[in-house]
Formats: sequence, C-alpha cells, structure tokens
Amino acid sequence: MPFGLIKFGLSKKYSEPRMFRKVEQPRDAYDVVIIGGGGHGLAAAYYLANECGITNVAVIEKGYLGGGGTGRNTAIVRSNYLTEDGARFYQKSVELFQDLSRTLDFNMFYSQRGHFTMAHSPASLRTQRWRAEVNKHLGIDSEVVGRDFIKKMVPEIDLDCGGHQPPIHGALFHPPGAIARHDAVAWAYARGADRKGVDIFQQTAVTDIEIEGGVNMSGNVGGRVVGVHTDKGFIKAGKVLSAVAGWTPQIQRMVGLRTPLTIHPLQAMVTEPLKPWLNTIVVSASLHTYVSQSSRGELVTGGSLDPYELTSTRSTLEFAEGLSGHLMDLFPFLGDIKVMRQWAGLCDMTPDFSPIMGVTPIKGFYIDAGWGTWGFKATPVSGYAMAHTIANDADHELIKAFNLSRFGKFRLVGEKGAASVGH
Amino acid sequence: MKLLKCPVNGVRAIQEFSFGGAVREMPEGSGCSDEQWADYVFNRAGEPGVQREWWYHMASGTWFIAERETVSDQVIRTYLWNGDDAS
Amino acid sequence: MNNRLPKQAGEWIDRSRELNFTFEGMSCRGYQGDVITSALYANGMRMVGRSFKYHRARGSYSMAGHDAHAMLTDGVRTNIRGDQVSLESGMNLRAVNTAGGLKRDRLNITERFSRFMPVGFYYKAFYKPRWLFPFHEKQMRKVAGLGAINANNAPTNSPKDYAWCDVLVIGGGGSGMSAALAAADGGARVMLVDEGLKLGGSLVWQGGGDHGGRVEPLAAAMVAKVEAHENIEVRCSTMAGGYYGDHWMGLFNGEKLTKLRAKSVVFATGVIEQPAVFGNNDLPGVMLASAAQRLMRLFAIKPFEQAVVLAGNDDGYRATLDLLDVGVVVKAVVDLRREDDVLSTDAMAQVRATGVAVRMGCGIYEAQARGTGRDRIGVAGVVVCPLNDDGELDAKRCETIACDGVAVSVGWTPNAGLLYQSGVRFVYDDGLEQLLPDVVPATVFVAGRANGVYAWTDRLRDGERAGLGAAGCLGEGNGEVGEGQDVGGRSKVAMSHGYPIFEHPGKKNFVDFDEDLHLKDFVNAHQEGYDNIELMKRYSTVGMGPSQGKIANVNSVRILAKLNGKTINETGTTTSRPFYQPVPIGHLAGRRFHPMRHTPMHDWHKQHGAVMFHAGAWYRPEFYRNGSMSREDCILSEAMHVRKSLGLIDLSTLGKLFICGADAGAFLERLYTGHFASMKIGKQRYAVALDETGVMIEDGVVSRLSEDRYYVTATSSGVAAFYREMQRWALVWGMDVTLINATGQYAAMNLAGPKSREVLAGLTDVDLSNDAFPFLGTREGMVAGVQAIMMRVGFVGELGYELHVPANMGLRLWERLMDAGAGIRPFGVEAQRLLRLEMGHLIISHDTDALTHPDEADIGWALADDKPFYVGQRSIAVMRKQTLERKLVGIRWEAGYSGPLPEECHLVIDEVRHKMVGRVTSVAHRSTLGYALGMAFVHPDMARPGTKIDIRVDGGAMSRAEVVALPHHDGEKQKG
Repeated sequence: MPFGLIKFGLSKKYSEPRMFRKVEQPRDAYDVVIIGGGGHGLAAAYYLANECGITNVAVIEKGYLGGGGTGRNTAIVRSNYLTEDGARFYQKSVELFQDLSRTLDFNMFYSQRGHFTMAHSPASLRTQRWRAEVNKHLGIDSEVVGRDFIKKMVPEIDLDCGGHQPPIHGALFHPPGAIARHDAVAWAYARGADRKGVDIFQQTAVTDIEIEGGVNMSGNVGGRVVGVHTDKGFIKAGKVLSAVAGWTPQIQRMVGLRTPLTIHPLQAMVTEPLKPWLNTIVVSASLHTYVSQSSRGELVTGGSLDPYELTSTRSTLEFAEGLSGHLMDLFPFLGDIKVMRQWAGLCDMTPDFSPIMGVTPIKGFYIDAGWGTWGFKATPVSGYAMAHTIANDADHELIKAFNLSRFGKFRLVGEKGAASVGH
Repeated sequence: MKLLKCPVNGVRAIQEFSFGGAVREMPEGSGCSDEQWADYVFNRAGEPGVQREWWYHMASGTWFIAERETVSDQVIRTYLWNGDDAS
Repeated sequence: MNNRLPKQAGEWIDRSRELNFTFEGMSCRGYQGDVITSALYANGMRMVGRSFKYHRARGSYSMAGHDAHAMLTDGVRTNIRGDQVSLESGMNLRAVNTAGGLKRDRLNITERFSRFMPVGFYYKAFYKPRWLFPFHEKQMRKVAGLGAINANNAPTNSPKDYAWCDVLVIGGGGSGMSAALAAADGGARVMLVDEGLKLGGSLVWQGGGDHGGRVEPLAAAMVAKVEAHENIEVRCSTMAGGYYGDHWMGLFNGEKLTKLRAKSVVFATGVIEQPAVFGNNDLPGVMLASAAQRLMRLFAIKPFEQAVVLAGNDDGYRATLDLLDVGVVVKAVVDLRREDDVLSTDAMAQVRATGVAVRMGCGIYEAQARGTGRDRIGVAGVVVCPLNDDGELDAKRCETIACDGVAVSVGWTPNAGLLYQSGVRFVYDDGLEQLLPDVVPATVFVAGRANGVYAWTDRLRDGERAGLGAAGCLGEGNGEVGEGQDVGGRSKVAMSHGYPIFEHPGKKNFVDFDEDLHLKDFVNAHQEGYDNIELMKRYSTVGMGPSQGKIANVNSVRILAKLNGKTINETGTTTSRPFYQPVPIGHLAGRRFHPMRHTPMHDWHKQHGAVMFHAGAWYRPEFYRNGSMSREDCILSEAMHVRKSLGLIDLSTLGKLFICGADAGAFLERLYTGHFASMKIGKQRYAVALDETGVMIEDGVVSRLSEDRYYVTATSSGVAAFYREMQRWALVWGMDVTLINATGQYAAMNLAGPKSREVLAGLTDVDLSNDAFPFLGTREGMVAGVQAIMMRVGFVGELGYELHVPANMGLRLWERLMDAGAGIRPFGVEAQRLLRLEMGHLIISHDTDALTHPDEADIGWALADDKPFYVGQRSIAVMRKQTLERKLVGIRWEAGYSGPLPEECHLVIDEVRHKMVGRVTSVAHRSTLGYALGMAFVHPDMARPGTKIDIRVDGGAMSRAEVVALPHHDGEKQKG
C-alpha cells in the first residue's frame, strides 16, 4: 500500500487543497508576464520562481491550463536527436523529466519504455546511425540494433510488414525513451509556481502588447516591452514571454516580429483500453507512424503532419485510414482492435525542425516557439532555459543555437530526420 | 474528404492536390539586403485569416491560386495565376 | 428462456432461427436478430460485465451501446460490444477484464480499498521512491485495460468502398424516415442509415401504451414505403462514425467502411437517454426506461418481475404503461417533479387509472443490492425519499420498496456527436432542460428530438421540413449559417429533469459508469481546483472511457455548474470528436493497396537471379546472385567486370524530363546553377539545382538535343517533386517553355566497360568514334532498331553509353545487348554505387543532407555566378560571407589495412578536443582498387589531402583513414 494514500482512508473529509489559487484580478504590474499557460509557460514560471528568485510573475492563459499542445500530444520523451545542439538540449530535458515527479511531488507517470525508430531502408538506417553516433559522443544512450534484437523486444511486430512495405532493416534503439502523463506535467508545474506566488489566470486573453520605441531607423523591429493589454485590463511588465506555440503568429503580429512559423495540424488517435502488451515505444520513420501503449491500456498513435496550413484541430478520415493501414503493416493482428477517438493539435513548424527560443530584437520580449511536433518532451528544459534567459536577459547556453536570428544568418539547426516522422 | 476546385478540372478531392505554400513576392535579388533576402526565404505571415496560396492539381499538373480562410478551412475562390497582380 | 414475451410487432428477433452460444462457459440460447446482451438477458443473465476500476457487477444499462457494460471476447476478437453486435451461432463469449471469470472476479477486492483511491489518487502516490514506480506501473497496467490482444490473429482484409448521394439522412426513426421520403419524393437520391437492425427507431420500441394503436401501423407503413422507394437506399446496421469536411462521412457496418459524399445532410439522430445519479445506481437491474422498452419491443423480453419507475418526464409514464402491458408489476412511479409543477398528460392519467402508486416530488436515495460483496448482482429494492425545498432528498422520511429492477426516465440529450463535427453549435435551453441546435451551417439540417421536437406527429412534420430543405439546397452552401433547424415544433414542456443527481453519503453514486466515477469524485476534483470543464474531464477522466461520455457528460456538466454556481451555458461542454462508436482498425485500413513500380526489365532481372530491393516506389536489382558467392563478393565481382570488361545496368527509374520551347535554355539557366543556354547541340553537362535557401536538391545531366529541345535526367526519388516545382517556376517566370515528365515513358540502361563501344557499334549505325561522339556528348539514333537517346556519361568512370528508349522497347533493347556477347554481365545498384564512389561522385541525400550547400559538397565549380539569376543564388551569396564549417572529401585506407572499418554515418572525431568534426557519407570496405575507400565531411582545416583522420566505429574503436583527392579511380580512359 503506497503510504501516500493512507490519509484518504483515515479521514471522512476530503481535505486536499487547491492545486493553484483562484486569483480573480491581475495586479497592475508584474516583473514578468508569461503569455500561455501550457506546459512550457508554466514550467518557465516554475523555474523563474523556484530557481531564479523571480516570483512576481503572471501567467495569462486564454483557455484552460494545458489546453493547447500540452493536452493533445502523444507524450513521448526522448533525446535521440541528430544535432549536437539538439541532442544536448533534449538530454537536459530527459534528465529533468526523470526526477520530475519527485521534484514537483506529483506523479507524472514518467515511464521509461525504450524507444525504437525503425528503418525500412539502408538510407533510413544511415540516418539512425548518424543519430546514434552523435548521441554516443554526448553520452546519450542510443545504438543501432538489428532485426533479431527488435523481434526480441517487440515480439508482436512483423519485421517484413506482410510484404506490403519495405522490410525493417534495423532500428535506432534509445533505452531512455519514455512516455508521461502530459496533463499532469502542466498541473504540477502550475502548482509549483503558484506555491511561490506566481499568479495564474485562465480564461484571460492577451489582446495586445505595448511596445515603446518600436520600428527603428533602418526599418527593423526594435524597442522595448512596456506591458500587455488583456481582457482584464492593462498589466505593466518589463519582461514578457510568449509561450503559445500554435498561436504564436497572433502574438508576433502584436509586436511586429517576423518568424518562419507556419501552422499545421498534427492528428493522433487512441484505441480502446487493452491489457498490456506493447512495452516499448515504436516509431517507423519510413511508414510515418508511431505508437505506444498508455498506462490506461490504450494504444496512442499518430503519423505525419497535415500537409497544408490550417489553424484548426479538426480530424480527417484519410488520416485515420492511412495510420490504421500502417499500424497493420507493423502489427497485422490489430484489425479487430477499435479506435475510440481521433483529435489534433496545432504545430508551429520551422524550416529546420528546431525550436525558436530566446531574446528577440525587442528588449524584454522573449519567445519560446517553433515547437512543431516536438514540444512536449522539451517542457522541462524549455521552462528551465527560458527562465534563466529571462532572468539574465541573455540566451541560456543550451538555447543559443535556437535564437530567431539564426534564419537571418542561414545558420539552421537541421533536425528534420530526428524531430518528426513526417517528411 | 475536403473538396477543392481546380480552375481547369473542377471540384476534386483534396488528395489529388499538393499544397504549395503562401504566395510570396520575391524581392529583386541584387537590390535587397541580406536581411531582406533571408526574410523572404524563411519568414512567413502564418497568422490565421484569408491566405493567398499555391495549390497543384497532381492529376493534371495544374498550378493555381486559392484564397482560403486558414481557420475555417473555407476556400473562397480559386483561379489560375496571371502574373504578380493577379486578382 | 422463460422471460421471452409473445410476438411483439416490429420485433427484431426471428423466432424460427434459434442459435446456440456459450457465455462464461454456460450454454445459452438465443434467436437470430438478438444482440448479445438481449440474448444474455433472455437466458436470465442480468450481470454482463464487471466495471473498470471497482469490478462491480454491471448489467445492460442502455441496450443501445451508450454504455460499455457488456465488453466481451471470443478469444479472437476482443472488446465486443454486447448491445451492438448481433448474436451468431456458436459464439463462445466471456466478459473482459476479470480475474477468474465474471462471477468470481477476484479483482472485486479493489472495491474494499476504494476509500484509499479517490479521484486522481494515482497522482498522489507511487512515485516515491523513484525506483519503485516501474513495479507500481506494471501492476496498474495489469489491472487497467479491458480486452486482450490476440497476436496470432490473421490480418483483416476489409473491403472499404465509396458511395454517393444527394441527401444523407442519419437516423431511421420517425423524423428520419419522414425526411427521407420528403427528399426522395422530390427526386433527390437519398441514403438513409441507421445503426439498428431495422428501421423505425423509437416508434417501434417506445409504445407508451399506444401499441396496437395508431403509431404502430403507421410506423410499419412508413418503413415499407421507405424500403420500396426507388430514390432511397436504406442501410441498416450501419453507423455514421464521423462527419468530415464537405459532407464526407465514414459509414461503418460489421464488414467494412464506406466513405460517402453527400450534398446535404439531415441529422435525425435522436436523443440519448440520461441516467439518474443515486446510491448504487449501477446495480444490474437498474437501467434506462428506454433500455427496458427496447428489451420488450425489439427482443420480446420481460425486463423485470417487479419494477419501480423513476420518472422526471412524461416518458416515464409511457414506459410504465409499456411495462404493465407485458405483465411487469410496477410497484411505484417515483416522480422527481412536484405535483404543482406538472400538467397532467394522457399517459399520467392512464397510469393513475391502473392503480399504480405514484409518488410525486420524490426520488430514489439508494438501490439496495441483492447479495453481498462480489455477489451484489441484482436489485432487491429501492429506498424512496421525498424532495425538500432545496431539491435534496430528505433521508429521514424514506420508504423501502421491494423490486428487482428500476427503469430510469429522467431525461435526454441530443445524440449530437456528428452534429458538433458538422459545425452545429448548441445552446442549453433552460425551459427544455436540453441542449438545442443554435447555429446550423447551410446544407445541414436537424430534425426530431435532437432538435427538441418530441411529440411523434411533430417529429414527422419536422423531418419532412428538414428533408425538403436538404433536397432544396443540394450543396449550395459555402459555410454560412443556414436555416437548418426550425424551432416551431419544439416541445413546450421540459422532457428532461434539470438535476437528477442525488447524493447518498454512504454509498457510491455513479456519474460515469465506464470510469467508475461517482459524485464525490467530482466534488473532490473541484475542490482541488479542477474547476472548469476541461480540467475536470482530464483530471477525473470523465467521458474518456469507451462510451466517450454519452451518458456521463451532461450530468458532469450539471454537477460542475452547480459547484461553480454558474449556468450550464457558462460552464460549457467538451467538444465531440470522431468516432461515434469505436471502429475497428481493420475497417479503416481496408485492403491496404501498396502500388509498386516495375521497370520493363523487372521480370528479366528476377529470372536472372537479381535480388530486388525497394527504391522508393520502385523495385530495383540490388545485385545478381552468382553461384554461392556472398553478397559482397557478388557486388565486387560485378564492379570489377565493368572496369575490366562490360556490364549493363537498368537505369529506368531515373527521372527524365524534356524541356522544350523558345525559352528552354533560358529556363534551365534560371533553374540550375550552371550554364545551359549556350550549350552546343549534342553536348551534355552535369547540372545541380538548389532550393531557395541554397541547399542542393537535385542533380543530373542536361543534354541539348536541338535548338529548343533539352533532355534532362534527375534523381529517381526527387523527380516528381522537382517537376512540380519546375512547372511553378515556368509559370511565375512567364516563360515560353514546355515541360514533359517522361520518367515512366522511357526505359534507360547504361552499357559500361572497355568493351562497350565495340558491342554497341554492332547494334547501331551512329558513328561511335571518339571524334564523332566524344565524352559528355549526346546523340539520337537507332540502336537495335529502337529510337534511342545515347549519352556518354562519366558516372561510373568507364567508357560507356547510357541508352534511353521508349519504355515498351526497353526489354527488347536490353535483351539484344545481353545477347551481343563479349562476356556482358548485368550489374545492380550496389555495384554502381561502388563504381561511382571510386569516381568521387556524390549522390544527393546520400552524401548530402537537408542543409548541404554546394561549397560544402565541393561542387562550387558548378555555380555559374556570372549569371544574373538562378534559384538559390542570392542565398549562396549570403552563406559565402560566412566561414565554411565542413567540406566533402575523399578518404581511403591503405591496401592491406586490417583494422576496423566504419559504416556510413560513423563520425570523424578529434580525440584531443573530444569534438565531432565530420561524418563518413559513403564507404566501401572493398573496392576494385584493392583498398577501402569513401567520402566524408570533415572540418575544412582537415580537408588537405594527406591529412590523417580518426573515425569512431561500433564499440568505440577508432579507424584511421587518410584524406585524398578525388577521384579515387583514374577516369581518364573513359574519355577516349
């Protein structure tokens, strides 16, 4: 009997406190205003308050906490990325995640399952080896494995895809690959921030951002942040963080900032709960398919990005059809298993599949965006790095390569092969 | 699935088409600064609203322009490209 | 089967066909037309499953698939829904998720610990100490989940298909049939779908004491008319699973998915009856009144011996009359409404006239169980209390009524899932105590009880209105709001009770049966701050089980609204996503067509020992089996043969484009990096294309065939996308150019080796002398009687001729060449890769990646910067202002080197500074030159030939190689 539960049996009254206070009205001013109450925004608030000593912070969320990408992703955490900057960054996130339940005193259901990226061609296997080698150099646990190992770890998989698809040649195996309870991450960070005095506002929209001394002489964006306008009034703030992922284009318009972001839906679906059988995370790079089994027993599965820009979370039948076909290519016996529900989230895509983080040409305006299809796993490290960036008004070491200015310099951080299954 | 009207072939299923991105005007290569060029190459408006964009009907090899509201996914009209100031 | 009733009008069962089956090992019998749960009920099995968390006994609650109490397995299929799947002969069924069978489920012990497991309890424990979580998680995973997979099941092969109609009507009840007839009579092609076995909907099972009276024959006549109508296609046992854009629907039946396109849609989906919340309201024997009515009328089953009816609307009285009609003793009607608040109806008067006790202003406090502990598998009675002024039950003034079942009739909610997906917006109407359509898109229509229209005559009229509207608009909408619902026929009285939720403090009062969530869970979650509907849902998991909230969501919103002191509209509702009911992966997958492309010589390759591999959508020969030689030996042998003698390779997958017209040359100048407009006719040039960011995306060979005709090759995998982009550029640049993608129309092959000229000379009249046809030249002529484009390319580094011929002539030419003697042997893609590597020729996306620009790949020489414009030029100019960070170079090992050799993508390491400084892009452990060689990216400081580099291989050992100038192989001879 887990001792944490005993208290519930002993008392008739349920005395659990609120996870976070209900603050009705924002103050006139805060040191930092965070736009976006998803995992990233809340994590940034947490680290600002708990590690940087900045507690006079407000988080402004248009909908409900974690209602954007945080609540819609398929909750895979890993660090088997391709570039040195990327791998280091995500590895820090994995390290934070591994201890996060204890740190935040809330069960994230962080379950290390191992992560396979199946390669169905020599070209794909090459890319997996590239990732494995970079990972190994940085001390991240990844290796290229062969068919026999895959079959041992995933006995139910059909390595030859029924002859319908190119067979699996091998895979990138990443033992630290994990899944987690995505909503819990948002709630726990919220509580951790709230406990230190961060005010969190839901159902509150930012309508504009006040900039002083905007466009400068050469026509470039500049100036400094003075505050934000919300539907609950104006809030003075010298530092504003935008952490809204799929809604970034609306925010960037408010400050006159240009970014490469385009918004595409990413769909996913979930089956009825099943008794446990899939104990690892399976991704097929060639079939653009990924699947894992949640602790509730459902298969959580997704595929490639929607092909055209759309700021909507609608689902399509063709997505469900294509993904189902690929699932059966990998696991031919799944025909009878039923899909319960399909949904989608918004992905703010960048040209190089790496995020956009750090300071901007506008003093006091910080951006955490470009999270495409790779945002959930970075929740802890993005909060951590952005908090330090905001506190010091300078890009944290881990995110220097991800600054928005890289595009102007043609210095892209190319993660397409590692970030997503969609090409 | 969603329908889209090719100006040449009429209403077809969306899977017959390939999305070509927002219509962007290329600045004069020699005349613009490196920053302006990078802005053209990489930056996008991205904001939800009516977007003028390229679509390609794969079955017939037809490129055309669509004006589409990117939240409701409603296509307002489609027409063949007719130079930079096509309308 | 002693609870079967005499024949009911409109019953689904076919009494002439008896079926045998087993349930939990017990022999049972049913009829064709039974669903599994009705057959179980007929055999006296009131308990059909155990609940997810507490493993409490559960029985049929909705008899309509709106609850997930009956989840069964036959060992092959799992999670079979008992309400929806028809009984088949020989089924051997068990309930899922039990330990030791349904009756003796050991996991029922969980209920003893329920006080330790409040809502969200698992977030509060199991994570300290960290190392123990995997153990806890393993236990949790074992008790979670419902059915088990069977990994031995053969893949399904479901025949997915399409359908089209003018008007789709979803729901074959009164309003649906009426809509279908109205539209069809006007000439529209109508498809009418219903998830039930037969048409009629609630007209068949909701008698209300009027059966044998007016409704029945009218319903039967309507059904007959619909089925006979030539403009109506009826599909029963068909579920509309999801609504997608532009009226694209997924229709699912037991066999397959049908994808339907309609021009307009009528949603006559009806309403879903909602539960009442009270103590032990989940006992087998407590069911919705509509469930009891379905049992009686569709399956001819007596649902109870002695029943209590809990009513919050007039339907409760109609259900009472139905129960009395089949001989059920109704001990009481417990009406939540006060005497003063209710206008008497015919049904109420009829019930009173029968002498059944009616308790107005009362509710059920608790259902008492028959049996104890794990064996609480039925109802023994109910505790009835009056309601006080606050709308709460006064527990001090109760009476106990013995009964074996409760029929719950407290209200309805629109079956709205698909409506939400189609863009309909709902608003909660306080008068009707029901969500009603408020905003309806054009070409969408709502009719019947989903539209708040209840009286059956009104429903028929409402359906007619909707059908006519749908037929009248036929796709003429563009997203604006339409007139798709009419408020005229809506009920003036509430057909639902606004808050049928009562707390028995000592018992569990279930709100979501699937998830075993009871009232206290919501109060606790709210207390913890999960106080808006989305947070509440995600924390409590309400609505996330297999029923997806059909009978849980409305009450959960009511509870939250009350806790917050807000209205239902202010509290909101959660969205609805496909699928209406869970659908099999096999239905969605269908037959999984995977077209593959064959070259004209495909069969020849296979007949001659080729080992084929997938190259994108193509099959290509990897190598040809040669006796018992290993794969590596075969490949080396093929390559050696090309160097020494003569080989032939099938290059038909190569991209092939004709660029024609007055602006053809100018077009190529802008598209590619090099000079092409001034090329002489009959000459050929290597061509590289960049994207706008300056990254290499394509390469190939451009040949000038005539003044205004160029022939261009491109990569197999990239040509389709490249051709697409070429067409756009041609449009934007406004050039007079014709672009033809001839990839599939031409076969191609490369005849390579010192003997190539002599062999080819025997098959063509074209002058092959070096003066007449020099290296990097292109000629057109007849070869073996076939019109060919002939190209002397340098890809593999031997004297050779690429021959491009119409595809239908490919095999003929191939065979003629193979027959020409001189020891010619075919060679495959792997041998060609080795030969080109020896020449230092890069392969796009093999040696380059998504960011490689020409200077990095050491082909800056291919950039003609004296040109005014080419795609990517401006970006190259920006990048050239920065220092180069990597360079593609040749690498080699000594002949006789015996140490470890790398694979492709092993990294070049600076061990001193512990940095990654490069990557092997191509490598051959054995080559025709007798030593290992390859290509790699290295830091420019290391790019000087002679530099020693270290490559980390598997296991961490280092392989030392040397940078060399390319090409490895001296290709001069090929130019002669």
